[in-house]
Amino acid sequence: MTPLAALVAVTLLDRIPGVAYGLPLVLVAAIVFAATHHEDPDKIKRATFEWIGWLGGILGGVLIAVWLVSWLA
Amino acid sequence: MGKQEPSGSGRVVAISPDDGSTIDLKSPAVAALLSWLVPGLGQLVQGRRFKGLLFMAALVPTFLAGMWLGDGRVVYASWKPGEKRWAFICQAGIGAAAIPAMIQSWRLEGPKKQPAFLSTFMVPPLSRGQPVSPAYATALAKSDPGITTDDFRPLPPWQQFRPSPPPGMLDRTPADQLSIWHKRLGRFFEIGTLYTMLAGMLNILAVYDAWSGPMHPTPRDEKGKK
Repeated sequence: MTPLAALVAVTLLDRIPGVAYGLPLVLVAAIVFAATHHEDPDKIKRATFEWIGWLGGILGGVLIAVWLVSWLA
Repeated sequence: MGKQEPSGSGRVVAISPDDGSTIDLKSPAVAALLSWLVPGLGQLVQGRRFKGLLFMAALVPTFLAGMWLGDGRVVYASWKPGEKRWAFICQAGIGAAAIPAMIQSWRLEGPKKQPAFLSTFMVPPLSRGQPVSPAYATALAKSDPGITTDDFRPLPPWQQFRPSPPPGMLDRTPADQLSIWHKRLGRFFEIGTLYTMLAGMLNILAVYDAWSGPMHPTPRDEKGKK
């Protein structure tokens, strides 16, 4: 995780109540997506991190956009 | 679904996308049913122990965490006018853990107007004016912190649910049990609902995996890897 991504994550966790409850769901979804695409445990592990990146990135992007809109409004 | 082995042995197999080895799906329909009932059980029966335990470890705690966050109120089946619980369609994907909700809903709407064992577990919320058995009215007043015996009016042979608005709500607000839950649990009602819904929906992928084996990458992805 880059320092900028860490800073954004910490800011979001601090500013938006309840957003931390979404993090376990991203992890669970990533595990299940990875496990349904692979059979080898090592490949599942690697794919889990890839899915965390994709899901976290997309959802984080939407979250930042919504937060910015509400901040500007 | 997996394919019949070319040797004609009758085994249904899938091909691993990782190393091209065959995966014996045994009886895919039975495995899929078991995987729906208990996440990962179908994979365990097929001998795919790692994946079975992984699905179980990921999905069962997610569902239970949702139940805990929602104080055990977020999983229920209701098809009453004005209180259709669409979220239950997703929650039902978790299998056996959601079956009590269907039984409780059916029992509460039945001739006795009370859930099984007078338990409040997975019972749908009462709407305003809904008649229930006196025994269930008493049980509810004891177990639900937002409800007292004063919230029921006699309507022989039943007790009619007519609660006064919860503190802080406008007097003209027509209160029902769902609004009492929302008032008490706040955002945790929605968070608990989300957890249980997601656990159910993700289990459908686990069911598909038991039925058909792992999903293969699209031809475009494979081309990209070359």
